[in-house]
Amino acid sequence: MSRSASNSLPTTDLLKTRGLVKEYHSDGVSVEAVRGVDIGVGIGEFVAIMGPSGSGKSTLLHVLGGLERASRGEIWLRGQRVDKLSLAEWAVLRRKHVGFVFQFFNLLSNMTVADNVELPALLAGVTPRQARRRREELLSDLGLSEKAAASPARLSGGEQQRVALARALANEPSLLLADEPTGNLDSSNTRDVLRLLQRTHDRGQAILLVTHDARVASMADRVINLFDGMVADDHPVTRIPRPVSSVLELHGL
Amino acid sequence: MRATFRWARADLRGRRGQALLTIGVVAGVVAALILATMLLEGAVNPWKGLFARTHGADMMAYLSYERTSGAPVSTAPLAHLPDVVRMAAPHPFSPATIDTSTGEPRIQLTAMPAKLSSLSMSVPLVVAGTWLTAAKPAGIVIEASFASSIGVGVGQPVTVQSADGKPVRLTVVGLADSTDQGFYPQATPGQVWVQQSVLKRVEPSKSEWEEVVDFRLANASAIASSQVFQAIYDAYPTSTGASVVQRFTTAQQVEDSMASDDRLLGLLLGLFGIIALVAAPCAIANVTAGRLLMHRQDLAMLKALGFTPGQVVRMLLAEQTGLGVVGALLGVALARVITSPQFIHPPDGTTIGLAPFPGSWVALIAAGTVLTVALATAIPAWWAGRVSPVAAVQASPPRGHLSQIARLGLLVHLPAALVLGARDSLSRRLPSLLTVFGLAIPLMMITVALSCWTTIDGFSGDPARIGLPAALVVPVPASGMTSHQLKALLGRVGTPYPDANLPPTPLPGDNGTFTALAVGTSRGQGRYPFQVVQGNPYDAPDQAVAGQGFLSLMHLSVGDLTLISVDGVNVTVKITGRILDADYNGDVLAFGMDTLGTYGGPQPPGAYDVVLRPGLSPAAARADLLRWTNNQLVVSMVANPADSLGIVRVVIAISVVVLAVIGLASLLTATAIGLRDHRHETGVLAALGLTPRQVIATLVVNTTILTAIGVSLGVFLGLAVAPRLINMQGQNSGMGAGIATVPSSLMLAAIFVVSLLVTTLAAVLMARRTMRMTDSAAHLRSPARRPTRTSIS
Amino acid sequence: MRQPLLAFLAKEPAHGYELKLALEQTFGEAYPSPNIGQIYVTLKRLEQDGLVRSQDVEQTTRPNKKVYELTEAGRDALRTWVDEPSDGPRVRDEFFIKLILAPMAGLADRMELINAQRRHYLGIMRNLAGLSATDTPARLLIEGAILHLQADLDWLERCQEELV
Repeated sequence: MSRSASNSLPTTDLLKTRGLVKEYHSDGVSVEAVRGVDIGVGIGEFVAIMGPSGSGKSTLLHVLGGLERASRGEIWLRGQRVDKLSLAEWAVLRRKHVGFVFQFFNLLSNMTVADNVELPALLAGVTPRQARRRREELLSDLGLSEKAAASPARLSGGEQQRVALARALANEPSLLLADEPTGNLDSSNTRDVLRLLQRTHDRGQAILLVTHDARVASMADRVINLFDGMVADDHPVTRIPRPVSSVLELHGL
Repeated sequence: MRATFRWARADLRGRRGQALLTIGVVAGVVAALILATMLLEGAVNPWKGLFARTHGADMMAYLSYERTSGAPVSTAPLAHLPDVVRMAAPHPFSPATIDTSTGEPRIQLTAMPAKLSSLSMSVPLVVAGTWLTAAKPAGIVIEASFASSIGVGVGQPVTVQSADGKPVRLTVVGLADSTDQGFYPQATPGQVWVQQSVLKRVEPSKSEWEEVVDFRLANASAIASSQVFQAIYDAYPTSTGASVVQRFTTAQQVEDSMASDDRLLGLLLGLFGIIALVAAPCAIANVTAGRLLMHRQDLAMLKALGFTPGQVVRMLLAEQTGLGVVGALLGVALARVITSPQFIHPPDGTTIGLAPFPGSWVALIAAGTVLTVALATAIPAWWAGRVSPVAAVQASPPRGHLSQIARLGLLVHLPAALVLGARDSLSRRLPSLLTVFGLAIPLMMITVALSCWTTIDGFSGDPARIGLPAALVVPVPASGMTSHQLKALLGRVGTPYPDANLPPTPLPGDNGTFTALAVGTSRGQGRYPFQVVQGNPYDAPDQAVAGQGFLSLMHLSVGDLTLISVDGVNVTVKITGRILDADYNGDVLAFGMDTLGTYGGPQPPGAYDVVLRPGLSPAAARADLLRWTNNQLVVSMVANPADSLGIVRVVIAISVVVLAVIGLASLLTATAIGLRDHRHETGVLAALGLTPRQVIATLVVNTTILTAIGVSLGVFLGLAVAPRLINMQGQNSGMGAGIATVPSSLMLAAIFVVSLLVTTLAAVLMARRTMRMTDSAAHLRSPARRPTRTSIS
Repeated sequence: MRQPLLAFLAKEPAHGYELKLALEQTFGEAYPSPNIGQIYVTLKRLEQDGLVRSQDVEQTTRPNKKVYELTEAGRDALRTWVDEPSDGPRVRDEFFIKLILAPMAGLADRMELINAQRRHYLGIMRNLAGLSATDTPARLLIEGAILHLQADLDWLERCQEELV
């Protein structure tokens, strides 16, 4: 019943998996966190992954970003088979093509905000001057220009996540992987981050995002529901015009 | 590359304290190694250091004055010979003798200017009193080793006389070191310096004078090929065949004759090298591993951003090696400052043996230490390279749990801080192991170093322990006193033991000599109190004891029979025991006087070895004996080799300081890791109802327990290793195993208490700082897998 | 609709059309625009209950209009309404009945039902999220609806875990 969407997707898939499996071994018992997943993300597409805790969402994202090696199955990124790459090759691939955002921001604690944002660009071989210009653009976009010299520890959670987003976007990756980017934020910070994600999407960068937040998921072009390590549902999100009153009736009126 | 540099810069800025600590440890190790090597090299070969300090000449030529006219020979033709870099103005001298209480040793009486600064080579180094001054024309300066040998000091009158001149009374104004020849009495004649007017008074006949010319040569090969000697001979064509050139001496010859074979010191040098080489990488590895533990999440994030594992490894290696290079340069500079002449003033007139140190050695020590740093970093760096990037996003799993013992502890109302602190020490294995070993290794080394110290202490305080029970040796004079009278006289200061005073005895097969000691009786009261460390003392005329050196040379062991020829008498003895011996490098076989009597008739004693009454100092006893006999006796004091080990104490002190710094570095790292791990927990503990003081106590208990384990382990290992190491050295030096003394339990207790106090203090200070930082609700941002949806903004 | 009208009149006296405009401005698109006739009927009932009283105001070009104002009794009724706690929205039980009964009747698979319901909720969510850009009290109402939807989705997840 799980509807595999990979056949119906355009051939211009940015990311595609076939029979992806991730196993963990502990105390002689092997546990499959991801059990044969076939999904695809088109160029510029915004895909959300939902599912209960322990359904393998984060593991899937890590495997797709090369933070962990897949146990079996294929991963294709930009037309290239990448599941057999070494961790070092993955690292090089991530620099240019994959940005990562995490729930706990994970800014490098002993670097300034500016250095955090410039680091990926420098890593990708951009000149310091270009890296700096790019960083200034990104930070002013996110309204953080005056925080450039600050230490991450001095920022609020929302500010930290915006910096983390700027860092992930520093090399204009064609794919942004985000693991619960709003999971640790209050609603107004969540709104800011969503606005930025929307802008990224509008610029034609693909986003694959794991979330619990239905509002975040509803922004996506498509939602994949993961259940017990497998795809339970994979469907486009279509707006259903309903008034508020269909959800919430005001008794007094 | 740029990204790497950017990260390293930020990292160093963020961890300034730890970076400085690393630099400090490396600098300390390098400086200590250089200093220890210079000191020990100086102690093993004191001449070499002195040679540099006195600007000793590479070569000296001795020329006679014109026999007929009594005029000095011109040295002008020598100034421009090939290979000669510089030539000093010649000093006239004349052979003479000096009156002492024990005889009239020959001296070389050299006329010197009153201004030392006018000399460019072979500048005597005044160690007591002053140099010659125009104000005291009758002053004389005596070479220090000669002065101590003939027993004169500053201010004493001496009488000097040439072969056929009148005695001239002079006053000693100073003592000085010189490297023109070896130390007295190995090198003769004794060297004394006077002004030219005095030389004229002692030896009026100038045709008897000679002159000595100092040369600085371009290279040593000039000497090896004798080209310079030939050139100097050729400079003075002679028709009579009697050249004015009398002889040459070279620095190389002097050095060769002075080379010490003190293997004990050489081995100590090795020991301290090993200490530094083992302790330094441990400290560096500990500090590095500690830093990486603290940075695990950041390292994982770097990898998520696209750093390859290799890049991470290289980055850490480069960073640490960079710190190592800075530390090494600092250490070299530090050693330079400490050993610069301005810093070392010998207050008591003794020579500070600082050997000049070739730059290549300094470079080797520095490079070796930097390499050690790199190697020590390699393992933690490799580990860091393998940190999974997923670690960046995974909250660390909860560590530690309340064990049954901990539950029991809480149940019986032990203080909560104690139970929680102890739980941490036992459940966080990796950081705990790092801490324990980081402390145990320096502490082990400190225990070894202190054992060396107490062993030397034992030597000086109780010479009998190293086989030197007799403090004085008095030869039986040729006339004026019978051996019986002498024995009675000596009985007033202690117990005299007759000694056959045998000459060195050749070993069978003509491979060297050993010393046969025929002393005391072979049994009963008159038996000489040797320090027997294995087997038993001899108890019959056909028994003997031997030193380690002798046993090794002869491939014998205790219990064997040996046949040797002593003083023309064939003796067969059974070796009943091994003795410690500090006098003859252990190349000694000892038995009673009557052993020789058994084989070839009674032997008259040649000397008496005197074991002094307790409480009587050798110097006082010697003075008494000389006074009672109106200086008719020759009384020599037995030299204690421990006296020459004084310099080792300086080295030990330096190593203990460096090791303490290394231990402190480990300690601070441990505390920092502990606190980092507790940043999130402190808030929780406080929320559970622990007062800030209890939270601090928890952290302190944790560190203190680890310190106690580490220090105990270190001291225990040190006590196990030190006697072996020291006895190994004793055995190799011929003195024999069994010399080691471990530090007293009081001293060990002091080490323990001081370590714990320092730990507690450091932990309290750092914990208080952490608590203040935690007040800013750091724990509220702690990662939790499913955060509550309450807003924090 | 009684209490909201009382509340507006507590601020100042107004006629029926002014009240309709005030309702629209306050709740915006979040709520379907009230019918003017309904407002007049409600006002008349309030007047009968003695909670408001009316006064005719003459207009030159148009028919006279009635301006309503709050009475003491009306003020008391309003206070009582504000002071008493309100019940939360009732749980939507229709889907749950389908989820339990449909598989029994062999009409549908539970997973399919849940998936379909999730798609529906996400579609509504997308619509609501699009509406929430404005900055009026209406926005808060939409936020409330979004949070309710989120709860519905979380509940779907629970159903999935428990029943599938």
